[in-house]
Amino acid sequence: MSKKMSFQSATSLFIAAGLLIITIFLPWWGMKFYAPQYQEGLNIIVYPYKLAGEIDIVNSLNHYIGMAQFSEESFPELQFLPWIIAGLALLIVFTGLLRKMSLLYGLIGLFILGGILGIYDIRRWLVSFGTDLDPMAPITVDPFVPPIIGENTIANFVTNSYFSYGSFLLLLVFLLLLFPLWKERHQ
Amino acid sequence: MKKLFSGAGGILAGLLVAFVFFGSSSLGAEEQALSSENKSNAEAVYVPHGEHDEYYLINSGGHSGQLFVYGVPSMRHIRTIPVFTPDPATGYGFDKESKEMLGGYTWGDLHHPALSETNGDYDGNFLFATDVANNRVAAIDLEDFHTVDILEVPNIGGPHCAAFVTENTEYIFLPTRFSLPFDTDYASLDDYSEEFRGVMSAVTFDQESKEFDVAYQVALPPWSYDKARAGKRDSSDWAVISTYNTEEATTNLEINASQADRDYIVLFNWKNLEERVANGEYEEFNGEKMIYPEKHKGDIYLVPVAKSPHGIDVSPDGKYFIASGKLAPAMTVFSFEKAFEAIENEDFSGERNGLPVLNYDSVMEREVDPPGALGPLHTQFDERGNAYTTMFISSEVVKWEYETGEVIDRHDVYYSPGHLVTPHGDTADPQGKYLVSLNKIAKDNFLSVGPSHPESMDLFDISGDEMRHLMSVPVNPEPHYGQMVHRDVINPFHVYEMDESNPNAVYDQNDTRIERDGDNVTVYGISMRSKFIFDAASERPDVIEVNEGDTVTMHITNTDFDQDIVHGLGIMDYDLNFEQMPGQTKTLEFVADKAGVFPIYCTNFCSALHQEMTGYLMVKPKE
Ligand SMILES: [Cu+2]
Repeated sequence: MSKKMSFQSATSLFIAAGLLIITIFLPWWGMKFYAPQYQEGLNIIVYPYKLAGEIDIVNSLNHYIGMAQFSEESFPELQFLPWIIAGLALLIVFTGLLRKMSLLYGLIGLFILGGILGIYDIRRWLVSFGTDLDPMAPITVDPFVPPIIGENTIANFVTNSYFSYGSFLLLLVFLLLLFPLWKERHQ
Repeated sequence: MKKLFSGAGGILAGLLVAFVFFGSSSLGAEEQALSSENKSNAEAVYVPHGEHDEYYLINSGGHSGQLFVYGVPSMRHIRTIPVFTPDPATGYGFDKESKEMLGGYTWGDLHHPALSETNGDYDGNFLFATDVANNRVAAIDLEDFHTVDILEVPNIGGPHCAAFVTENTEYIFLPTRFSLPFDTDYASLDDYSEEFRGVMSAVTFDQESKEFDVAYQVALPPWSYDKARAGKRDSSDWAVISTYNTEEATTNLEINASQADRDYIVLFNWKNLEERVANGEYEEFNGEKMIYPEKHKGDIYLVPVAKSPHGIDVSPDGKYFIASGKLAPAMTVFSFEKAFEAIENEDFSGERNGLPVLNYDSVMEREVDPPGALGPLHTQFDERGNAYTTMFISSEVVKWEYETGEVIDRHDVYYSPGHLVTPHGDTADPQGKYLVSLNKIAKDNFLSVGPSHPESMDLFDISGDEMRHLMSVPVNPEPHYGQMVHRDVINPFHVYEMDESNPNAVYDQNDTRIERDGDNVTVYGISMRSKFIFDAASERPDVIEVNEGDTVTMHITNTDFDQDIVHGLGIMDYDLNFEQMPGQTKTLEFVADKAGVFPIYCTNFCSALHQEMTGYLMVKPKE
């Protein structure tokens, strides 16, 4: 039978759940576009439920190379991602209330799986946007895949991709999920 | 004899050596000093890439009907603002709104620009200017530096003496250069004194709705009103106007208006006039509320002044008004306090055209007459008690203390200055850092372009005791006056916001459409990098098909909400062109009275595929 976790461990889980909810309202990932005429940079900022930044301007420039338009409609994830996060937070609270270590193991597994899926999803979109270019586009460029983190050069633009506050907080949530493992270790 | 020769030779050689060594070395030192002075002057006006000028200089463009915006100290021309004149570069006067605003006029004579004020200092909201030629007043919104309203003012004859605003922009006053027949449209010049009047208008501007209105008018005597200023601080309820031709001459004014030794300064209390209007003490005249000063006494007085003064300026502390002699080579400083006292004590020397004349000696504080300085025209101020006056005839700027009359410095300008400008130099809070004299004659200052010369401006650093001449620059005709305002006061935006309540605006390509109602064709289209979309559902979305004789209305929205991405829309052979700034919706209305195929193209270079940004206006011939 699985061991019951301590009050401190349960608290750690409650804090994790709270932080996880907060991440919904924070940017997770972003890409900044620099060009000679755009010294100040143009942004695409991804929140779990929306896109922010100068999306329209980026779109109006990207259409020259035949890239598909970014919009909230083109990312179905934005519709259900907040609910998945909320559900996960609920599971964390549930685990904290029951103080069951076995449930926590499952939770950590789920979290890791979610992370891998998330990164795979970003990568999938980057490949799709960078390689599935409209052959009718006025300017022909070789297909390209920008990295998930770091710099890339395409035509007159240098792009810089980065993880943002939401992701950092996710990492903290993950550490808080791991805390009971350390706390309840066999001594 | 030989000795004598060799002696003389020795002296000559000595002189030669002295000349070669000392002569040339002293010349070198002078040259060196000059070149290092030039270098430091160059440094004073150089604004490196990435930095901005400290001040805006917004100059009147005179009979070009435009305004010109410069940066100080670099003196770089930044932008031209069309006001009273159509401007194909921006489509001003072509699109429906600005065309209606211009009212069919193709030129204007833009004189004295005036920034709106709050508490006696520029607030950066609006700029006002008048058209002396066609009796109009215009407002320029400093959020986008575009003309937002033009009002044609009735009953007046050339608002040269404007615009001047009161301390909190309650009124913009428009006294005029010409007097006109008053009760009738036509009157003989023989009856000038009886039948003519110089009507002054008090105009209000609603900063919310961005609209002018005439509050009331004053039927002043048939004289010429030249320059004017509102009071400041303790004198802020008052205003002063300089006059000439109080002789009431009707021909050869050069001679006939220069006969009397004295003309007048009109001193009036606008708060009193406002109250009078509120109490109904006016008469309806040709649609306006007219005040007759000879009937309603107590608000308007005359102060005698040396003949034909030009500029009149109020010191920043509001204590003095200073008249520049033009024909009498002196600046006369008058005291507001003494004038108020004279009014209180009815210390009058007589009456003219029903207006009380104050005793000159009771109001005059001092006459300042720098030796040899001729033709004083206009005065600006710094915050250290100094006045700066242009001398048109002796071609110089004189710096003097208005409290003492002491002349501090004089400097030549190149040549014949009219107005001059210092930063916030006509407000209650001047910033005495720079001075720009606006000169009427350039002669050989710049590369020759034949007989048509530019006007010229001289830039001075006036932060020290001595005025330091930094440079001369050419300027478009004709800078009558300017306003120099600190960059922190002005906050323009770059992209028009989406306005979902605008029925003419289309922001989504799928909403573009062409509607037909009888002979009226209305296009709801967009311009974007790099195409026009007039009707997204059409086989050719960038083509407009109409019948000869149709009235075409094009509402075009620039959907590039991106700084400095401007589109223009020109129609070949139709003499039409207008621009849409980022996010802006504009309307073009015309009758398609020529049959044929007329290319449409973007006239404002917008993108790498700007050349491809085209379409067609297809006008089907009548059967
Ligand atoms: Cu264009």
